[in-house]
Amino acid sequence: MTGRTKTMLAALALAAGIAALVLVPLLLNRYGLYILSMWAIMSIAAIGLNLTLGYAGQVSLAQGAFVGIGAYAAAIITTQGWPLVAALVVAVALCFVIGWLLGYPALRVQHHYLAFVTLAFSTLAYLVFRNEEWLTKGIYGITGVPRPTLFGWPLAAPLRFYYFCLAALGIVFAGAWWLVRSPWGRAFMALRENPMRAMSLGVDTRRYTLMAFAIGSSLGGVAGVLYAPLVEFIDPTPFTLGLSLNLLMMVIVGGSGFLFGPLLGALISVLLPEWLRFSEGLYLIVYALFVMILLAWSPTGILGIVDRYLARRRARAASAARSAAMPEALP
Amino acid sequence: MNRLTIATAMAVALGMSAPTMAQIKLADVAELSGPGATVGTNWKNGIDLAVAEINEKGGILGQKIEVTHADSQSNPGIARAQVQKALDGNPYVLLGPGYSGSVKVTASLAQQAEIAQIMGGEAAELTQAGNPYLFRTSFGQQSSMPKVARYIAEEVKAKSVAVVWVNNDFGKGGRDMITKELAKRNVKVVADLSTEAGQADFAADAVKVKNANPDAVFIYLNEEESARALKEFRRQNIQAPLIGETTLIGQKVIELAGDAANGAKGHVGLTTDAPVPAVAAFRDRFAKKYNYVPDHNGIKGYLSIYVIKAVTEKMGKVDPKGFAKTLHGMTIKPEQEPGILMEVTYDANGDIDRQSFMAEVVGGKQVVKEILPKMGN
Repeated sequence: MTGRTKTMLAALALAAGIAALVLVPLLLNRYGLYILSMWAIMSIAAIGLNLTLGYAGQVSLAQGAFVGIGAYAAAIITTQGWPLVAALVVAVALCFVIGWLLGYPALRVQHHYLAFVTLAFSTLAYLVFRNEEWLTKGIYGITGVPRPTLFGWPLAAPLRFYYFCLAALGIVFAGAWWLVRSPWGRAFMALRENPMRAMSLGVDTRRYTLMAFAIGSSLGGVAGVLYAPLVEFIDPTPFTLGLSLNLLMMVIVGGSGFLFGPLLGALISVLLPEWLRFSEGLYLIVYALFVMILLAWSPTGILGIVDRYLARRRARAASAARSAAMPEALP
Repeated sequence: MNRLTIATAMAVALGMSAPTMAQIKLADVAELSGPGATVGTNWKNGIDLAVAEINEKGGILGQKIEVTHADSQSNPGIARAQVQKALDGNPYVLLGPGYSGSVKVTASLAQQAEIAQIMGGEAAELTQAGNPYLFRTSFGQQSSMPKVARYIAEEVKAKSVAVVWVNNDFGKGGRDMITKELAKRNVKVVADLSTEAGQADFAADAVKVKNANPDAVFIYLNEEESARALKEFRRQNIQAPLIGETTLIGQKVIELAGDAANGAKGHVGLTTDAPVPAVAAFRDRFAKKYNYVPDHNGIKGYLSIYVIKAVTEKMGKVDPKGFAKTLHGMTIKPEQEPGILMEVTYDANGDIDRQSFMAEVVGGKQVVKEILPKMGN
């Protein structure tokens, strides 16, 4: 296979994937559309975490809190009659700044120590959502979060709102694709692979660490801004540490450091439990077993399996080419 | 192996979607996992028990009941998905959820679908939003707290009260309601102590209660935390009467707290220890089937099915649209429908009115001290 056919095949697969995401929902009922919208939203949050964790190597257990911050920003601002765009701007700015600040500990601590710092932040955010009643309405939550209108088009119907979430996912995904190929993405990866060496090569590790946190966190905020109008109700319970752990799992199961990893991970985290519901009381147990077996088999996630397979094929092809070339080379 | 798995999965899927003739389809969405698992599991088992009993006797109007259960994971976002799924299947009546937040997010969906929703949530505001399709299975806090406040003010004659509550939607709702009701009766809240769900150590709270030196302590926690709080309050020798609701003096609390539960008093809307023979018989049937004594959520689930039976038989037909209209203002008496256990009246908001009790734990047993009549009487 030449490089050109490979690119063609990849483009074809991508087009088929997009076509499926656009066309299949036409056949789905409201429940299916809700679940798919949830998948798109969780994918956005996971893409953010993948930038922080997968590319820049900074373990964060606070992504769920950023989804919460985004969701609360959307709920508070849109119930006051402002458009969702205003909420988006506020949420992204807020998450960017908080994410930047949360990055400072990452300059001093690494790995599980860093995980603990972000875990503390996650708990703190939950307490703010629950206790600051004047702002968040506390444990009672905020009801009646409206779905947005886009250029005069109401997006309240489930199918339209799904396309809205899908479009948002498309934009975020394209942004992430561009980012990891830009000098920034390379700096992130240098940070993950060998921070000392990155620094000696002139990469401003301090700035890029903070940047990795800030960008990843603001994507969490974007996901939250979509989550609030999807559910149309917000209370603190979805934004506990559980959501952060779930997002972390999505990134790892899908394949941390792979661009498509978060999409696959979110697919497994959101859709698999739904598919397994036929086993009734056992569905969460079956789901947990699946994830454990998968990670024991391939610690690098689903895309890790694909990557290993491709690497083996390439190695085989290369050695076949070598052995084919050998007799000619020898007299 | 792979083919076998697929074949099994398909068989299960086919078995579930097989056409069912003349069956009454009910859909239950409950907290079967997550922090609300105790609530949801009791609710589900109560439903299953009632459905089995009714089906054994030939069903409702000759039609068997078929009920599906879906797990909300105690998360409003997932509850919404499951309710949407349930409504897409056009059930006769929607059952659950039990958490008030999950009820809030799903009530409008059932209303749009014009399907009656019989739920377990107790927050006061649920039935005040003017949704004609939403019905309770137990007292809302707006019905129970005035009775407790009256008891504290008039019977205990307390002038000051410490309120210990769990900071979730259940606890916060109760705390707000009792504070309002106590203020109406000029009883001062001298300590307002918020605690966490699952909290293990109540030593600090006990010290604060002691320092405030109230005439009575109102405790509004989940069952397990209630037991821990009772033990700690007794250990620190708090002498003021300990007063609560169903969750303070339930069977589970008595088992966990042992002697520390003795002397605790509470208002009980629905209890398996109610001095009503039909309730005792229900408790025995439940315990025989599931090997444990249910809490009030078990009774709530059980009653929801008998409410459906009574309404359907009154209408004489299975009519999803007419259901809500018929249930408003309806009184169901045990003479007509023994499964209802105690006479109950539904008002125009979907709130219920029923006899209730003031009870005290004496010698490790819940003893009813006073029967509080229906408010409408």
